[in-house]
Parts: sequence; C-alpha cells; structure tokens
Amino acid sequence: MSGFRRRSVLKMGAAGAAVIATPALSPAMELELGGNDFHQIRTFKPREKGSYLCTMCPYFDGGFTFSELDQVKKCEGDPNHIATRGKFCSKGLASLFSVTDPDRILMPLKRVGARGAGKWKEISWNEAIEEVAKKVSASLDNPDTIHLNEGGFKENGTQRFMDTLGSQSVVRSRYPSIGNASKQIALKKMMGVDFLFPDLENTRYVLNFGCNIMETALPLAQRLSDGMVNNKLTLITFDVRMSNTAGRSDEWFPIFPGSDGLIALAMANTIMQEGLADETFIDTWTNFNSKELASALKEFTLQRAEKASGIPAKSIKKIAIDFAQVKPATVFSMNGISLHKNGINAEAACQLLAVITGNIDVRGGSCLPRKFDLFPPQPAPDSAKVDGKIVLNHTFPFEVKEGSRKVSILFNHMSNPAYSSPASSLWREVLKDEKLIPFSVDFSPFMSESAELADLILPDVVGVERHEVGSAPTSAWPWVTMSKPTHKPRGKARDVREVLKKIIETVDTDGSRGMKQFWAFSNSKDWVKREILATPSLKKKYKKIKKGTWPKYGKIDTLTRKISQKSGDPVKAKFGSFKADGFPTPSGKIEVPVLAWSDNQGHANLAEDQFVLTTFKVAYHTLSMTTNLKLLAELSHSNPLWLNKEVALKMGIKDSGLVRITSDVGYMVTKAWITQGIHPQVVGLATHVGRTAYGRVAKAERDYRPEWASEEQIDEDIDYNLWWKDKGTNPNDIIPVALDPESGAQIWNDTVVRVSPAEPGDQYGDIHVDNDKHLAIYKKMLGGA
Amino acid sequence: MEGARRSYGLQSPGTRGVAGAKRYGMVIDLRKCIGCMSCAVACKTEFGVPLGSWRTWVKVSDKGRFPNTRRVFMPRLCNHCDYPVCVRNCPTQATYKHKEGFVLQRYNRCIGCRTCMVACPYNARHLLPAKRTDNNLPHMVVDKCTFCVHRVKKGIVPSCVQACVGGARIFGDLNDPKSEVAVLASKERLTVLKPELGTSPSVSYIGGDWEIMDEPHSYTNRTEQLKEEFNDYKRNHEGDAFADIVEGEPTMPQIGEHAIGFLKTIPHKAADVLKAFRIFLFG
Amino acid sequence: MEESVVTFNVFHHVAWGTTISVYFWLVGASAGSFVISSFGWVFGIKRYKPLALTASVTAIGMLLLVPILLTWDLGKPVRFIYLLLPGFWHATGPMSWGTVLICSYPMAMGVYTYFVIKNDIFWARATGIIAIVLALSTHWYTGVVMELNPGRFLNHTALAPLLFLTGAFISGIGLLVLILTMQNLVVAAEKRIDWKLLIEMAQYMMYGLVFDAFLLFLEFMQSIYGSMNVVLGHEAVLMGVFKFPYFWLEIVIGLIIPFLILVSPLKRNIYAVVAASFMVCIGVYGMRVWWVMGGQYLQSFY
Ligand SMILES: Nc1nc2c(c(=O)[nH]1)N[C@H]1C(S)=C(S)[C@@H](COP(=O)(O)OP(=O)(O)OC[C@H]3O[C@@H](n4cnc5c(=O)[nH]c(N)nc54)[C@H](O)[C@@H]3O)O[C@H]1N2
Ligand SMILES: Nc1nc2c(c(=O)[nH]1)N[C@H]1C(S)=C(S)[C@@H](COP(=O)(O)OP(=O)(O)OC[C@H]3O[C@@H](n4cnc5c(=O)[nH]c(N)nc54)[C@H](O)[C@@H]3O)O[C@H]1N2
Ligand code: SF4
Ligand code: SF4
Ligand code: SF4
Ligand code: SF4
Ligand code: SF4
Ligand SMILES: [Mo]
Repeated sequence: MSGFRRRSVLKMGAAGAAVIATPALSPAMELELGGNDFHQIRTFKPREKGSYLCTMCPYFDGGFTFSELDQVKKCEGDPNHIATRGKFCSKGLASLFSVTDPDRILMPLKRVGARGAGKWKEISWNEAIEEVAKKVSASLDNPDTIHLNEGGFKENGTQRFMDTLGSQSVVRSRYPSIGNASKQIALKKMMGVDFLFPDLENTRYVLNFGCNIMETALPLAQRLSDGMVNNKLTLITFDVRMSNTAGRSDEWFPIFPGSDGLIALAMANTIMQEGLADETFIDTWTNFNSKELASALKEFTLQRAEKASGIPAKSIKKIAIDFAQVKPATVFSMNGISLHKNGINAEAACQLLAVITGNIDVRGGSCLPRKFDLFPPQPAPDSAKVDGKIVLNHTFPFEVKEGSRKVSILFNHMSNPAYSSPASSLWREVLKDEKLIPFSVDFSPFMSESAELADLILPDVVGVERHEVGSAPTSAWPWVTMSKPTHKPRGKARDVREVLKKIIETVDTDGSRGMKQFWAFSNSKDWVKREILATPSLKKKYKKIKKGTWPKYGKIDTLTRKISQKSGDPVKAKFGSFKADGFPTPSGKIEVPVLAWSDNQGHANLAEDQFVLTTFKVAYHTLSMTTNLKLLAELSHSNPLWLNKEVALKMGIKDSGLVRITSDVGYMVTKAWITQGIHPQVVGLATHVGRTAYGRVAKAERDYRPEWASEEQIDEDIDYNLWWKDKGTNPNDIIPVALDPESGAQIWNDTVVRVSPAEPGDQYGDIHVDNDKHLAIYKKMLGGA
Repeated sequence: MEGARRSYGLQSPGTRGVAGAKRYGMVIDLRKCIGCMSCAVACKTEFGVPLGSWRTWVKVSDKGRFPNTRRVFMPRLCNHCDYPVCVRNCPTQATYKHKEGFVLQRYNRCIGCRTCMVACPYNARHLLPAKRTDNNLPHMVVDKCTFCVHRVKKGIVPSCVQACVGGARIFGDLNDPKSEVAVLASKERLTVLKPELGTSPSVSYIGGDWEIMDEPHSYTNRTEQLKEEFNDYKRNHEGDAFADIVEGEPTMPQIGEHAIGFLKTIPHKAADVLKAFRIFLFG
Repeated sequence: MEESVVTFNVFHHVAWGTTISVYFWLVGASAGSFVISSFGWVFGIKRYKPLALTASVTAIGMLLLVPILLTWDLGKPVRFIYLLLPGFWHATGPMSWGTVLICSYPMAMGVYTYFVIKNDIFWARATGIIAIVLALSTHWYTGVVMELNPGRFLNHTALAPLLFLTGAFISGIGLLVLILTMQNLVVAAEKRIDWKLLIEMAQYMMYGLVFDAFLLFLEFMQSIYGSMNVVLGHEAVLMGVFKFPYFWLEIVIGLIIPFLILVSPLKRNIYAVVAASFMVCIGVYGMRVWWVMGGQYLQSFY
C-alpha cells in the first residue's frame, strides 16, 4: 500500500487478489519445526540460508541466518542442532539488527580535537594501519607497555597479536576479572573442568544457587522447561530476588547474600548424618573417604546456616533430604554465588552436594562438560609465558593511575570497561588521560562508552558477518558449529583478525622480526579453517563442519522435540566417562577442597537503611552487545531499583519515586520499584541500560544523529516510532572495586549501599562519584589483602 | 472451543471436527513458558513489525507476598477467533476468516478505518505506522498476527512457535487427532481469553492464571513503572487516531491537542490526495 | 486475596479518537436540526415553516463536514473509494451501512431543501419523510457502530442508539437555536424568526434532556451492578480519566444546568435559553468524547 497507484484503482474491482492470494493450504502435512524461511508477503520466496553461531553470550547457540537481497532478514536456531534444538533467545534472534544499526561505525575513525570530545574524521584503512603499526613499532623495545583489554567470549586473534608482539599485558575482562571466575576456579580445582553441565532434561530435582537459568542460560532453560512438564522435576532456587527462574521455581528461597555456601555445607552435613550419601562414590572417586568427610562437615550445622542465611533450618533440612533421596538430581550455580567473597568455597560447597549424592556424570545429574576445545591456527606464537600472570580488568585503571603500570598503547576488543567494569568512572578518567594512555585503539563496531574515549576506532564486523567456529558445553553431546556469513561486511567494517594481520605485516614487512610467520592465514575464513585443522579431534571433519554443525546426532522429532535417530528413538548420551578416564585432576579423582567458611561476609551487620546491592542480568540483553538493538531495547530499557515492599513502606518510598543510592564513593539517583520479590536487606538493579553512548536506541533519543552515521544507514522505524523515554541508569560508577582475595574476581554482589528517598534537587539519572575515593578504596584493599 | 455453527460476515463456517478438513490452532502451555520473549522478537523480525506495535507479546505478573511469591507469564496474540468480531465489522472485506482457521488481512483492501481494532476484544490488531524500516511493506493499514500462514503453507510452524525456547507454544491441526495440539486439547484442561464474549478463540492456554487473563485486573493492578511507560508511549508514539489520553493529565486539553494534530496532517494528506488524482488523471 | 501486579505489558493505541467524536457530534446535530426543519413541511406545524430552510441548510452543512473528516481520518484519504465499490461492500459491517446512509442522507436533504425553496408542498413532504428516516438512521448507526463491539463494555449496550438519538435531538435543537439567534442578529427585521419560537424549541430540548437523564440513569444503574469491567468502566474511566467530559461536560453543563434554566422562570428569557442551548451542545460533545474514547480506553491496557 505504498501510495495510491492507478493500477490498483483499476484492479480494485477484481478484489486485487493478486497481491496477497488467499493461501490454499495443502492437505495432510506435518509441520516442520524450522530450518527454512520465506518472504512473508507477496512472493513466499524461500530465503537464502547460511549457518550461524550466535556469539551474543557464552552459550554459543548454533543456527542459521536467512537472507534476501543482500541482507540478513532472520536468524534462528538449527532445529537439528543437538544443543540448540532450534531455539535462539531474543538476543540471538535480534542479533542481525546490529548489521543495520543506524549508529554503527562503518569506517575507521580518527579522533579530532580532545579525547572524548566526540569529534571524528574518517580515515582510510591504510592510513589507520600505518598509524597503528608505527606506534607499535615504536613500543616494541618495551612490549609489555602494549596492552590489550580483551572481553570476547572467544579469542579472535587478539591474544595471538599480543603473543606475537611479545607482550604479556593482556587485561582480561570477562574471565577472570569481572565475570564468574570463582566458579571456574573452584571447578577446575575440584574436577579439573570449568563447567558442569546440568542434565536438566532428565533430572528430577534441581538445586539452583544463584543462577537465573531462564534469563541467562537459555540452552539450559529449554531443557529445564521440558523437564518441568515431562519429568515433573522439582526446581528449588536460592536467589536474593525473584528472578524469572525464582518466580517459576517450585520453591524460591530469598537468601541473605553470600550465604549459599554455608547452606550447601549444612545440607551436605545433613545428608551425611542422615546416611543418605552415596558412600561408595565418595570413597572411590574423591580424595576424602566418607567418614572423614562426615566429620569435616560436622561444624556446618543447620542452625549456623539458618543464622547466616535467614532460611529456616527445617526447610534446609527438608531440601537436603529430598535432594539426596530423589534420583537423579543436579546442582547448578552461577554469578549469585560466584560474584561474592568466598565464591570459590561456595561453588565447591554446592558441587559437593552433587558429589556426595553420586550425581556426577550420570543421566540427569551434573555432567562433565562435553565440548570441543579448539586449538589456535598453526603455527602459533608461544603463549606459555603469558599464563599465570594475568592483568585484572578491574584493577588495571588503578595501576595505571598510580603509575605502577606503564601503557604506551591500549587495544580494546569486545569489552566496554567504561560501562561494564566496577569503578567505571575511574576507567573513564584513565582512558581519557592522554598522559596515562598515550594511544588507544578500539575494535568496536559501535560507539561504546569506551570507544568514545579512543584515539582510533577500527570497526570490527558484527556477529552475523563474522567467520567463526565454536563449541559450548550446553548438551550431553559435544558439538561444533561454524558461522558462514552469506554477505560481505557492511560498509568498510573489517574482521579484527584481518586487521591485526595487516598491522603485523606492516610492522614486520619482510618477516625479519619473526612475527609474520604466525599470520599466514589469508583471511578470517581461512583462520577458521586452520582453527579446525589445528584441533586434533576435528581435523578430519572439516568438510562436515563446513556445512554448519557437526556431529549431527539425528533429526528433531516434531512431537517430542528431542533429537532422534532414524528409528525414532531419542539419541542416547553416554555417561560416566570418568570411570574409564578418571577426572582431569592431578589425582584423577574429585579433589574436595578444604572445607572452610568464614561467617563474616563483610556485610553481616547492616544498618536499617543499608542494603546489599545486587546487579543482575535480564533476559533480553547481553551487557553492551545488545544495547542499541531496537527490538531488545524496546523490551527492556529501564532498570528501577528493586526494593522490598515492606521496607519501602517503612522508609516512605513510593513506587516509581526517586531514591538515592549511596555507596562509599558517591551516589546515584534512580526510581524505585516496590516489589514483594526481593529480600528485605537487598536492593537490585538490572545492568545493560543507562547508556551515555552507542546511539539513538540506547540513549532513547530518536533525533540523535552521530556524525559517523551516514544517511543511508537510517532506519525510519527508529526515527519515527521509537517511543520510550526512560533509558535507565548504570550502577557501575558507584560500585567500588572489590577483589575476592582468592580468585581475584570482582565481588559485584557484596556492595553495600545506603538507600534513601531522593533529596530536593535530585534528578532522575544523577550520578555523583568521587574518583579519589575509588582510589582510596583500592589502596585500602591492597593494604588489607 | 466448539460452539454452535453460527457464522457472521466473511467467515467460513467452523471446520473444527469436520472430517477431512483442517483446523489450525495454537495451544500455549504456560507451565513451560519461561518469559524469554523470543516469540515476540521472532515475530517482529519475521514481519518487520515496527516499534510500538506487536503481533504477539508476553504479559508478566508478579503474585503473592514476600517470601511466597511467583511470577506468571502470559503470551498473547490474535486468537484467530471462530466468530471474529473484527471480520464481522470490517466494511471492506479486508479481513476474513480462512476455512482452515486463520483470520487474515488483505492489505490492498484495507482502508485503515480501524473498525476492526475497535471491534477486537483482545487488542490483537494495530495500525501500521506511516514509516517503517522497509517502506515497501504495507503501511497505514491495519495488521495483525497471521498465524504465519506463509510458513504454515510451506509446511513450517509459525515463527513464534519455532522460536519458543520453553516449547510452550504448540501449533497444529486440531482436527488431526495425532497432532500435539489435539492431544493436548483432549488431555489437558484448556482455557481461553474472555470466553464470555463468544468469539471462540483458536488459541488456548494450559495453566492459565485468572488474574492475568482478566481484563479489569490488567488495569487496576499495574505497577507505576507501567503507568509511566504507558504515558510515554501515548506521548511519543504516533497512533494516527488522535485519541491517546495520557493518564493523570486533564482530558479536554489533550483532545484539543488531538484536534490540532489532526489539522497538522492536512498538508501531507492533501499531498496524498493530489498525488492520487495526478496519477489517476495523467498516469 | 493475594497480591498480584502486572509488571510488564505492551501498549496499544486507542483506535478511534477526536475526529470520530467530532463526527458523531456533527451527525447528531445535523439529524437534530433536520428534525426541526421537518416540523413545518413534514409534520405540518405551520409556525416552524420559516426556519425550515435554515435548519436544513445547517443540517446539510454539518453533514458535509463529515465525509471530509472521515476520509481524512483514514490516513490515506483516497482509500475511502473502497467503501463505495460494490466488490468491497460488506453487509455485516455496520460501517458499510453507515457509508450508505452518510451518502444518501445529504442527498435526500438536498432534494428536500430544493423543494422547500421551490415551495413544493407535496414533494417537500415526500422527500422530507425519506430524509427524516435517513437522518434518524444515520445517527442511529453511529450508536450502532460503537455498540456492536462486544468487547467494549461501556459501548456494548442496546441503549446506545437511543442515547445517541436523544443527544442528536437536543444538540440539534441547541445548535439551531444558536444559529437562528445569529441569523436574527444579522437579517432584516421582517425576516427574523420569532424569539418565542426559539423559546418553544428550547422546551422540546428540555423534554429531551429529561429523557437523556433517564437513559443515563439506566446506564448508570447497569454499570454499577454490572460485571467488573463495567464497574471499572464507570469508576476508572467515567469518573476517572474521562471525568471532565462525562461528569462536568455532559452531566453538569450539558444536563443539569440547562435543565434548571429551562424549568425555571428563566426559560422565557431568550439570553438564558441561548446560553442553555450552548451548554447542551457542548454537553453532548462531552458525551461523544467519552463514548468514543472512554470505551476503548480501558481495554488498551489489556
Ligand atoms: N540474557 C543474558 N544472558 C547472559 C548474559 C547476559 O548479559 N544476558 N551474560 C552471560 C555471562 S557473561 C554470564 S557471567 C552469565 C551470568 O549468569 P547468571 O549468573 O545467571 O546472571 P546474574 O544476573 O549475573 O546473577 C544471577 C542471580 O544471582 C542473584 N544473586 C545475587 N546475590 C546472590 C546471593 O548471594 N545468593 C544467591 N543465591 N543469588 C544471588 C541475582 O539476584 C541474580 O538473579 O550469563 C550469561 N548469559
Ligand atoms: N553491575 C554489573 N556489572 C557487570 C555485571 C553485573 O552483573 N553487574 N556482569 C559482569 C560480567 S559477568 C561480565 S562478563 C562483564 C562483561 O563486560 P564486558 O566484557 O565489558 O562486555 P560488554 O559490556 O558486553 O562489552 C562488549 C563490547 O563489545 C562490543 N562488541 C559487540 N559486538 C562486537 C563484535 O562483533 N566485534 C567487536 N570487536 N566488538 C563487539 C560492544 O559494542 C561492547 O563495546 O560485565 C560485568 N559487569
Ligand atoms: S542464549 Fe546466547 S548463544 Fe543462545 S541465542 Fe541467546 S545469546 Fe545467542
Ligand atoms: S483476536 Fe481479535 S483480531 Fe484476532 S480474530 Fe479475534 S477478534 Fe479478530
Ligand atoms: S482497518 Fe482495514 S481491516 Fe480493519 S475494518 Fe477497516 S478496512 Fe477492515
Ligand atoms: S503466529 Fe506468526 S504472526 Fe502470529 S504471533 Fe506467531 S510469529 Fe507472529
Ligand atoms: S518464547 Fe515461549 S517460553 Fe519464551 S516467552 Fe514466548 S511463549 Fe514463553
Ligand atoms: Mo560474565
């Protein structure tokens, strides 16, 4: 109906049936569960299919892109993929919009004027690469001053780049700094793996400690959902607030922050005392024997757990007994325990429950991860020397500020510390300071809060344009999926691997510096091929993997929605591989760590207006990756402060009324959401929103026109229809740095704040922080640690 | 779900239970819904549904008192009613009931009068705004969920069903006793929205919670956030009906503003008329 | 009862708004004026003959605005043609009938007016009868088009057409009183309409007001004893968001005050009568506003 045309006037008598014909459906046909896509009106033409690995979150779902007229129109999961089973979450489905994001950076940009002033000019790739190469060459006599801040879920040549230059200064963002390091470290110690796959589909009982499975672990959530109905499993969730998962659980226990470990230990104690433990398993497969273990657990009484957690002892006991009796059962945990002090102990304690009940690597239990670890393309530079010496993302700016760390160049890849890291205000100060960081380069395809403060932006390609291969432990079978874009990257965007290769080739033109040899791949596609060829278990399968996903275990059954063999039976997984191979620990057994618990979590005695601030993720965003995507921002663009209703009434705070959140370093003003779904001593803020950068969607300003965005990039839908005004607030400025002494991870969820009604003159979104206080806290922390 | 075989307007007589005929419907198993909204996003990408309009969405409600609380999700879409008020009231036959269960829209007949939107008891319809990402797609006509007839025709489940992470949305031929929907329909207790209106929906729910299914409740028990969002929406999103009342502000000045807004459209609509005449007269 | 709060929902626009409420008012006023116009020529009440022409011209004038408003409201105005094409006509849609009525009613009025000007008593009467039926039907239809939406609880009442017609009757008289007053102020003395006639018309209006109040009372009764939707419709919409048009405009300004004027000795004072007429006119507009928008308002949260 675009315009009124003569043709349509003439046709009107004939009811204009040509445009959308009444679809005559053919008889008797079973509906497929996906795998194809068609133009939605007029032609019903099939769309071109490409294989796709979603990298919007660490679960790496495999699927397809469907495109039409040189544009990806849809992404969806591959129904025959053993883990994905056709399902992508909202982020995966919407990821294609990052291609057409009207604020996307499509050419190399060089800063003009002061840093952070927001003035840019386009330069050519050659100029850009020349410039970087020049700076890199100049710093090569002291390579450790070249820094990389890496946040990718998968290393995309950046690590190799640093190794090639001989720099050890890789700042790790997601792992192990501001992500769930404690969990991984604990598991690594205990079982030699960094993840346990909970077989939710076949289990009958799930103990969930602080993972919001339904919002953050979607490949697991689909199995949970199946299990809830098909297996009538019992889902018990410990969380400080009612997440979607908690709200859909059979029972939600609003636990006092940081006390999960103690509950788990008390449960373990109960199970041992009641004689419900699988003693043979303990005796054969752990470095403890059951008697020792029982006595070591004795000190963790139900009463002690009740006191710390606020959960009645009899409830804990009941769950412990149920958990031990119902078989199979599984335990899962995530940031809710891992982003706390004591995270390693807590994780170990939780997993101990699965261990003592013999639920390790059985059908329906907690299984060793099944995935393919990909090797770097060969030849690769020696990176061994880098191991063991990790630069933490959240202490990096302090070190730079204090002068203990010298930086000549800072590369930033897939990370946005100016928003996502604690003390992000200090990060910004440091990034802005040309004396501290003389030259900085960001590979971001978007104008993130961090990219805004760079000198040079070399836009990477985005997910659906990238050649990629990956595997994640999201099912009881290993798999590997390859992304094969059907289109060239938009504008002048270039894959970071290809850019790094060019830089190296400019630095080491003739190969005399011995750098060029490691960059022999021709392009990112070739990189992926070499990655597969370098991986012994996949080497011979390249041809198969090229088709998308390998192995294919069968086809999805349209009725049961399980991957089934030709015979119609669901494929069967193998369990108990450890019986033959042992655990990948030094002893080959599960190494139960020293069971220790300090009752003092640093926030035991809270004053009436003091709360523990928990920051959490929502189902429709991944930190900064999705923030400017219109469909996701439409679903979630604001983050009022969760506040318990009773407490709010006492404090005189109204729903949607302004509140001040004061931490040790400053305060912010936001709106309150009065809810029954949060522990009275906890307040909660969702992360992802509250943007000062990115673009018109993230900032909720539809008239915003950044200079780098060309006219043809415009999406009239956004310019005309974007309707929300509340863009939320970001708590990370007022969250001080806090290291878990053992794992070094940021203990996000131990932040203590004061909450009060807003004061006169406070405006929604105000943030006042004192970076000197951030520094003082850092110094104190070093002194104390 | 079955009712008397009445028929109004352009509605093919119900084929529910008629041997040899197909009758598509959706069952939404709320026990499996995890509130991920993949359905809503999949639908929006499939059709390029503009911001501020929805063919399907998921209502969320929190129930109970601390600590005994739970969360309830309620996916919503066009019910593809057997006795669709929208079809009955459309003056141009632009919307009709297909004999296999779909209620469909013919954009080239639709005049944008919005009678059907007023008629639909479920808010299932929206007017496509004047501007959208792909301006070659229809605009300024009323649109709604099509049960993804273009996919079903090709033998694939609707987009939202394809994407449904929880596996809560189940689509199929209710007349085929072997289909999952038919099995569920006979095995489980199904509820529909507003059964009292006699629209006889083809979308039914397992485990529906009455409060979230209840219309007055949606109005009375909203959070303040939702009220503010609602008002933001009314202020900032063009509805082209000059009817959106912002809660908490006096009505009559707003209606005055609507009238002015209406006058402001004269230039571009006049241009539209002139263009039509020009094309009609001079080709 | 346990607490239950809707924490996420999407939003919807109200489909029909100001334009439609103005249109309903215009059609009503037109029909009302036309009824007065027909008093002289159709029902043979001689003293009304002088104002027949003004009345029917007013009626036609009001009605000519209608198609403009409506087509304009379509967003792409030219599409109104579809409504007139036989291949598109849909018998169960109230609006299809509305289109027929809105097209034929002004034509009938035009023909009638032609015979009034020609002073052709027989044909004026004959066409007048047709036109009056069409006038009433046109306005009846505006009630029906809202009524036949079972999901809109405030509108879904069999009283709708009656409420509309009563409103039409009183607003038509009101409007006519205003127009005739203005006409009297500008035309030569001998052409003036007798003020007494206007005062007499206002008395008809008073009866209309009484009937209108009765209908509103019936509606009110039903709403407060009705299902939650209707109760809420009354509480949250009529006495809430739409309190001004409903309570202040329609009931206080449009009903109570004019009624008091028209039953008190003031009823013989032409100024008071003109004021009352004005108030009735805007009161009826208030009713059109809440009737059209209020009924949809509640559901846009669902
Ligand atoms: N949608 C979405 N999914 C994601 C991501 C994303 O950004 N968005 N990111 C991915 C990444 S990088 C990660 S690390 C994972 C994180 O996945 P999750 O760990 O599931 O996510 P979080 O929201 O960080 O934290 C989980 C829950 O811990 C609760 N919590 C806080 N304190 C405590 C406590 O003391 N005890 C208990 N029991 N619970 C507590 C919070 O209320 C929150 O609901 O998700 C991954 N998946
Ligand atoms: N308050 C609070 N803060 C948190 C958390 C919390 O729970 N609460 N969670 C923490 C956790 S678990 C994590 S893992 C961290 C994550 O924090 P970060 O590692 O900083 O990740 P993001 O903020 O998502 O930033 C990703 C960057 O990559 C860019 N990007 C997106 N797609 C591409 C691409 O295709 N190519 C390239 N080159 N760049 C791309 C984005 O624009 C963005 O700048 O945040 C932590 N921050
Ligand atoms: S869960 Fe993660 S990997 Fe899977 S579709 Fe969503 S964002 Fe992509
Ligand atoms: S839900 Fe509404 S739009 Fe859909 S068929 Fe029923 S009445 Fe029509
Ligand atoms: S808007 Fe279109 S579909 Fe709806 S009633 Fe009018 S013509 Fe029919
Ligand atoms: S059936 Fe198709 S059109 Fe309807 S809600 Fe689902 S995806 Fe959207
Ligand atoms: S996709 Fe399925 S599980 Fe997710 S919200 Fe929609 S209906 Fe619920
Ligand atoms: Mo993370």
